[in-house]
Amino acid sequence: MDYRTVLTTCAYCGCGCGLYLEVLDGRVVNTIPCKTTPVNEGKLCVKGWNIHEFIHSPNRLTRPLIRKNGALTEASWEEALDYTAGRLWEIKEKHGSDSLAFLASAKVTNEENYLIQKFARAAVGTNNVDHCARL
Amino acid sequence: MTNSIAELENADCILVIGSNTTSSHPLVATRIFRAKEKGARLVIADPRKIQLALKADLHVRQNLGTDVALLNGIMQVILANGWHNQAFVDERTEGFDAFRKVTEDYPPERVAEITGVKADDIRTMAEWYAKAQAASIVYCMGITQHTTGVDNVKALANLAMLTGQIGREATGVNPLRGQNNVQGACDMGALPNVYTGYQAVNIPDIQNKFQAAWNAKLSDKIGLTIPGILSGLVEGSVKALYVVGENPMMSDPDVNHVEKALRSAEFLVVQDIFLTPTAELAHVVLPGASFAEKDGTFSNTERRVQRVRKAIEPVGDARADWEIMQEVSTRFGYPMNFRSPAEIMDEIARLTPSYGGITYDRLDGEGLCWPCPNKDHPGTKFLHSGRFTRGLGLFHAIEYKPPAETIDEEYPLWLTTGRVHVHYHTGTMTRNSPSLHAEMPEGYLEVNPEDARRLGVRRGDEVRVVSRRGHIVVKAMPTDRVEPGVLFMPFHFVESCANILTNPAHDPIAKIPEYKVCAVRLEKAA
Amino acid sequence: MNEKVKAKVKELLASGRIKGFWGLRTMQGNIGPFLFSSPDDLDELVVGDRERPGDTRYPLNKLLVNLARCYPEEVFGVLVRGCDERGLKTLYSWNQLNPEKVVPVGIACPQELAEACECLKPFPDEFVAGEKAEGSEFVSVANVESLSLESRLEHWLDQFAKCIKCYGCRDICPVCFCKECTLEKDDFIHTGDLPPENPIFHLTRAVHMAGRCIDCGLCNEACPADIPLRTLYKKVADIIDEEFHYRPGYGDPKEKSPLNILGEAPKH
Repeated sequence: MDYRTVLTTCAYCGCGCGLYLEVLDGRVVNTIPCKTTPVNEGKLCVKGWNIHEFIHSPNRLTRPLIRKNGALTEASWEEALDYTAGRLWEIKEKHGSDSLAFLASAKVTNEENYLIQKFARAAVGTNNVDHCARL
Repeated sequence: MTNSIAELENADCILVIGSNTTSSHPLVATRIFRAKEKGARLVIADPRKIQLALKADLHVRQNLGTDVALLNGIMQVILANGWHNQAFVDERTEGFDAFRKVTEDYPPERVAEITGVKADDIRTMAEWYAKAQAASIVYCMGITQHTTGVDNVKALANLAMLTGQIGREATGVNPLRGQNNVQGACDMGALPNVYTGYQAVNIPDIQNKFQAAWNAKLSDKIGLTIPGILSGLVEGSVKALYVVGENPMMSDPDVNHVEKALRSAEFLVVQDIFLTPTAELAHVVLPGASFAEKDGTFSNTERRVQRVRKAIEPVGDARADWEIMQEVSTRFGYPMNFRSPAEIMDEIARLTPSYGGITYDRLDGEGLCWPCPNKDHPGTKFLHSGRFTRGLGLFHAIEYKPPAETIDEEYPLWLTTGRVHVHYHTGTMTRNSPSLHAEMPEGYLEVNPEDARRLGVRRGDEVRVVSRRGHIVVKAMPTDRVEPGVLFMPFHFVESCANILTNPAHDPIAKIPEYKVCAVRLEKAA
Repeated sequence: MNEKVKAKVKELLASGRIKGFWGLRTMQGNIGPFLFSSPDDLDELVVGDRERPGDTRYPLNKLLVNLARCYPEEVFGVLVRGCDERGLKTLYSWNQLNPEKVVPVGIACPQELAEACECLKPFPDEFVAGEKAEGSEFVSVANVESLSLESRLEHWLDQFAKCIKCYGCRDICPVCFCKECTLEKDDFIHTGDLPPENPIFHLTRAVHMAGRCIDCGLCNEACPADIPLRTLYKKVADIIDEEFHYRPGYGDPKEKSPLNILGEAPKH
């Protein structure tokens, strides 16, 4: 029996409510609002209360996919990463840095957004980075 | 937000404009309810009878896209009655005379004609807001998603400055950010013109600082925004697109155009946790980790940086997005070797003045609101106390402009879009959550009972909604939440995708599309 | 208070009498529910008095029920106040929890909290820390009842109009354990509406609290709209007491709720 409560921040709207995820034997089984986090003080909306539900959805992507003969086909990480980096490199060499563009995300962490724009700017050499701030 | 969420409950007047707060930011609504309980006046300006309107002291229903006129009207009344804060205007602002000249052309009677709001209601709004001890403005995408989005926001800033309702506790201009980390993505420089902390890419000193830190040659050319990227793909100037955790195939206006753009890409990478309609078009799909499967931070709408903590290992072979990005970069020839998100935050803090004092060990408890320039700084609860970021607050003289698309004989109805309480954005997460899906399994169209009767449509009947961009079929829900001549639909549902209909015309500065207004016609589906 | 609880839990864990102890712990600068399985973790155990007595209570007995369903053979300890003990007894009487697998560690609430909660019995039958405080009358119920019938309806309609339909009152409730919930049934209450059908949604829940609600007040604290749900359910409990002389959790757990109509299966 491996049971833990993990304090984290809700991933839905911009309120930023604190909540505990209940983890039992490697699965997130429930959500409990945190009483002491400043935004929500023990309260949540319906989305927050149910945020654990999509985590183990059978529809989650669990393997890299590469389009082969028109269809998305499961691939290893090695192959997918090499292919991705290789194609991006080829396109940069052939058409220049500004022929590549990046959509970062209002869903991923600060640290991840930082790395995405750093990759675009420092590795590829373009400022073509945007995300859905306007949507 | 200029102020923090909790402060709202101490305001004695709250103007909510273009925010369906109970649905989209429920825990902000908590504070609005509390303020109301303590005796605050609540004023709602929204074309729809949203839930907060049930608790409002005054609810005005302006015609779609007429916010500048409404706000100018309010300010005209304030000026005409001398209710403005002259001392604040003199000490803290500039550009007042030009602003005053334009604003004086918006007497309530003229504004009533444009907005459909009664002249007396405009006077009441002006008096309540201006005379309050502490008045807060709360707004959301109902203000920004217009071709005049920037004008709308500037008009709100004018109103706050005119009355000195900013830079103090429980006042301010408070945009509610829609996504959990849209504030953070902006802060982190996921924008074409700035590095982290809004440091411009075309200022040489800043460019040099980042070149030295990243050991790379950097471009000083401002990059493309999403609309520019999409048209670049169609024209062929953009060849490759790397999308992380976004779903433009549903979230962007005129989806048919988006699909054409994405299909034009020579190489499309999508990194996500579900196979979204966007991922279905990709050449490579990389499975990322959900928020429960990694460490990191999110920055909320009040600029509060808070921890995200790993609860479980990524499902299947999925990997944390920061790890994927490092792998791609290293293989691309630019090695990245951070051992943890905490290390990444240390680099962010070194390069970003407003995040300068943020480290993981300080984020336990309540997190930190930026600006937090150094390790001893406690963070900043509200902005613009004593001084605006640019020094003096700048008034803008703003004329009302109608929306890009207006109704005509062929498309005689207005359509506006938004969120519902149980779903989120393109539904990728919520529609994969059984409890939320059960609460609202499909989309619907709000139509005024009068319009419904004229068309012979009853609750649950299928109707076809047609705009200049395309058409969709959806079930009708007759309700007085919308007025005659106005339709509303949520945009979460791929089967009845509202953004097939919406107008991609966008604000010239912010490039934000006009999701909130387009012209359509309604037909009974066969 | 913490030290006495810690000593008791330490003894229970060390003796192997319990597999784990449901308590509260300070973690990352916040207070949350925690399953203590080693005496070494007990340093940061708290009882949920952060700024005021009882201001950081969690539905520990509900978490216990969920875990006991997965591990029915294990014995767990749990921190209980008067209300939590009523919750346990009610869960025993509805066969949701086996009393032989539960070791409560009781604390008595101070007078200040008893009055804030308007709690009839602010202490469990046995407790290791705290002093017995006086029970308190339902002042909030009397206040509402002093209004005219019309104003009373207006008061509740006005409160329910704030509901954002988070279902938090149900989700936090230690005695809401139904597998299917009427509140989610479109046939009874239209799903998808905001606010939910007024007053049907909240009155339906209030009726379902009859013979169940143990007056812990966690629903009230979880409500994002600050609806005074506890007052409503206190009134429901008064009605059941007047009609049936039954208050959930106060008597012998073997005593069934008068509304527990699940008898033996009909013989065919």
